[in-house]
Amino acid sequence: MSQEHIRNFCIIAHIDHGKSTLADRMLQLTGTISDRDMQAQVLDTMDLEREKGVTIKASAVRMAHTASDGRVYELNLIDTPGHVDFGYEVSRALMACEGAVLVVDASQGLEAQTLANLYLALEADLEIIPVVNKIDLPAARPDEVAEEIAALIGVDAATVLQISAKEGTGVAEVLEAVIARVPPPAGDENAPLRALVFDSHYDSYKGVVAYVRVVDGGLRHTDELHHIATHITFKPVEIGTFAPDMRPAAELKSGEVGYIATGLKTVAESRVGDTITHKAKDLPHALPGYREPKPMVFAGIYPVEGEEYGELKDALEKLQLNDASLVYQPETSQALNFGFRCGFLGMFHMEIIQERLEREYDLDIIVTAPSVEYEVLMKDGKTITIESPAKLPDEGDIQEIREPWMTLQIYTPTEFYGPVMELATKRRGIYLNEEYPSHNRVQLNYEIPLSELIIDFFDGLKSRTKGYASMDYHFKEYRAEDLTKLEVLVNNEPVDALAAIVHKDHAFHKGQALVSKLKDLIPRQLFVVPIQASASGRIISRANVKAVRKDVLAKCYGGDITRKKKLLEKQKKGKKRMKMIGSVEIPQEAFLAVLRLSDE
Amino acid sequence: MTETSVYIHIPFCTHRCGYCDFNTYEGLAALIPAYVDAVVKEIRYVGERVLGPVVVQSIFLGGGTPSLLSAAQVEAILRAVGEAFLVLPGCEITLEANPGTVTSGYFRALRSLGVNRISMGVQSSRPQELTILEREHDFGAAIQAMKFCREAGFQNVSIDLIFGLPAQQLAHWQRVLEDGLALNPDHISLYALSIEHGTPMQRMFSRGLIEEIDQDAAADMYEWSMNRLAEAGFCHYEISNWAKRDEQNHLMASLHNLQYWRNQPYLGFGAGAHGYFANVRTVGVLAPGSYVARMRSLPVRERAIPRTPATAAAKAVDRQDEIGETMMMGLRLLEEGVSRPKFLARFDKDLDTAFPGVIRELEKQGLLEDDGERIRLSRRGRVLGNRVFVRFV
Repeated sequence: MSQEHIRNFCIIAHIDHGKSTLADRMLQLTGTISDRDMQAQVLDTMDLEREKGVTIKASAVRMAHTASDGRVYELNLIDTPGHVDFGYEVSRALMACEGAVLVVDASQGLEAQTLANLYLALEADLEIIPVVNKIDLPAARPDEVAEEIAALIGVDAATVLQISAKEGTGVAEVLEAVIARVPPPAGDENAPLRALVFDSHYDSYKGVVAYVRVVDGGLRHTDELHHIATHITFKPVEIGTFAPDMRPAAELKSGEVGYIATGLKTVAESRVGDTITHKAKDLPHALPGYREPKPMVFAGIYPVEGEEYGELKDALEKLQLNDASLVYQPETSQALNFGFRCGFLGMFHMEIIQERLEREYDLDIIVTAPSVEYEVLMKDGKTITIESPAKLPDEGDIQEIREPWMTLQIYTPTEFYGPVMELATKRRGIYLNEEYPSHNRVQLNYEIPLSELIIDFFDGLKSRTKGYASMDYHFKEYRAEDLTKLEVLVNNEPVDALAAIVHKDHAFHKGQALVSKLKDLIPRQLFVVPIQASASGRIISRANVKAVRKDVLAKCYGGDITRKKKLLEKQKKGKKRMKMIGSVEIPQEAFLAVLRLSDE
Repeated sequence: MTETSVYIHIPFCTHRCGYCDFNTYEGLAALIPAYVDAVVKEIRYVGERVLGPVVVQSIFLGGGTPSLLSAAQVEAILRAVGEAFLVLPGCEITLEANPGTVTSGYFRALRSLGVNRISMGVQSSRPQELTILEREHDFGAAIQAMKFCREAGFQNVSIDLIFGLPAQQLAHWQRVLEDGLALNPDHISLYALSIEHGTPMQRMFSRGLIEEIDQDAAADMYEWSMNRLAEAGFCHYEISNWAKRDEQNHLMASLHNLQYWRNQPYLGFGAGAHGYFANVRTVGVLAPGSYVARMRSLPVRERAIPRTPATAAAKAVDRQDEIGETMMMGLRLLEEGVSRPKFLARFDKDLDTAFPGVIRELEKQGLLEDDGERIRLSRRGRVLGNRVFVRFV
């Protein structure tokens, strides 16, 4: 098919605004998938995605559609991840498109990610097709929301389509608009091959499958290919298109979207954003924007049972096959023994990995409180980076500690202005300015340390705004701050997994809160257990867990010993879920106590 | 020949107490005659089928309120036991009685039937506590019942008391125990109140009307009681049980309960009764009506003893379970403990091999005492028994 009849587009939306449902309807309408085979939200293949209602990984599908002009068009829908942690992946997926359908919920209106994704799409120079979805909802206010969108992107509100993806209303019009308004690809068919990798997955038979958009030139399945960024050369196992399952093809031409099964062993070898070309002496210029994935959030993951270390390692290895942004290295904690320090793109990414380890690999794990990467300038002039509070060198040797700062956009109904302001300020946020992109909505712009964002910030925001606020954040820079290590001693021994790096102004308050929380969480032992918090070499808080006094069962009436035994067995199970730190049993929740401090 | 015990459950009460979650029913008194017939039938069922003689060393009529049975009904049951099994001379025969349900004549009749031990549900002496427990008697009735017992010639009378009641303070409990001692019992059982699921008390608790007392207060009461009872000449032979010595210096411990704690066999008869015989644990169908019906129309298919037509569930106990249960029960016996030679003889396995390192560790924690011959709970281990038991099950 000539480029003239190809349209490459994506759907961008805030979480739950109906992106996947709209994609499903398009697949049905174009006959790409039969109604019978329709499993709700085909594009979200992971259970977790379906459950969380968001797309974790991008995906692509080719549809053939006969337009009202009677001609058949090839429509490539590229699905984008719906979460801010995956901003880079979103930007690459957008680069593979010429147009974007911007979906906004008719009852919710604009949200932070609507804006964030819209800005990304405008940056990628995409044609925007604004759509108001869920007009069937009783609370829908389609005209009002259409006005908001129109004002935002500077178009006439009449061009904003009003649809209900759930009921199928207006979906055909969306496809018509894609064909009419999205420009066809404008690549040079005769130039050397340049194909953008916008996603990948690992297939145990075909190796890494790179999802590509052919920008210039074309390729045949017999060609020898090369990655410009990673310098890895390979011969494809297979090439083809998504229909929506992988369907082999002999060639992919300029403007097309498809896949290249590379036979490579890890997705890190065929990274998102890399450019694939023919192996040749003179390589073309890489497509712009490639970045190495950079984890922002770090946490220790430990098996509850030491003997599961091997299984945890295997599981992380397998997850990494499919997820180039997950990094991990072995770590030893005196409290939790052997585990891994893992790096994630953000909190959401971390949650997903944690859940996949628990569900798909059936592992019992302890995840320590997340941390960011600190830069530490030593007195001897050297700079080191640390990802774990426990690794902070002695305070006397430190010149300064720098921590990552982010720009933060919070998008909220104006009535929550006060509570949002209070939350951000409490978390050391610096107010920059505010914008009013639509009536009754304010976008508050801040700079804030990432360490404050990753601990419960989003939950705090949601609870203060009845769930209406949304947020987006991006890395800004490292800044020197007055930071100190908050250490916790249980039974006079420092527990590394409970250490945290905090601002000195907050150390006292946080130390007290942590100690009183741990006092409630740590069950009474055979002896008195002192819990202390220390910062900068001083004990700043102390509490005792009293020794257990009484733990015994009454008599067994009428010889019913099975019931007593069951109680004991339950007690035994409970013990198993504890970690022995020295001679003290500490329940798993205690390791996350640091997380919940901000509520106090 | 291993001696066996017999437990007979009498699930009827004129009123169900507020804390009670046992298999008991109020308002079913009309069923008692049919129920007694059914119990007799169940006893005979086992007696006719069991291989070899069953030597009975103790019989316990528990409840519920067994003292709701007439003397004739008790007689019918005891006669059935005597006909079905070989009841040893001097066999301990206990009946649980509630103050307020008994008369002097009743006790005399029981005594003449061979009942030789009474376990009296006194529970408290404080009116407000008896009210909260929903007991139907006052302490005056307990005094009177005790008098009737002695007049009828009972020389082995036990009382039950409950401590750790909502709002109870140490001084309150001290008063209750002193009152209990004033009744001059031969044996005392002290139970810490536990608020059980599905009881009226638990509902009050979940509505926030009453509060559980904290473990420190309960521990204070228990520890005070240990001292006080020792002073009064009682031997603390099991976690919840104290006994005096008779004139021949024999400890008047409950032989029946010792059977449980030594993990020895017992046959259970009646609705919801538990049994442990030939390495099988059994439990009878709970509802008295169903129990009667099951025993009335015997099934065509024979059931292997100790199962009877009334058995609702049965489970064979494997060696590993038996070891764990022997430990968990045996360690409740504070004087006797678990003896190394007896353990070896029973399981053909050394105690220390069965639980490598565990005994040493518990000893180091101050929970166990080990004199080489036997292991026992230490004084501290008595209040923290669960911490010890879990290591063995």
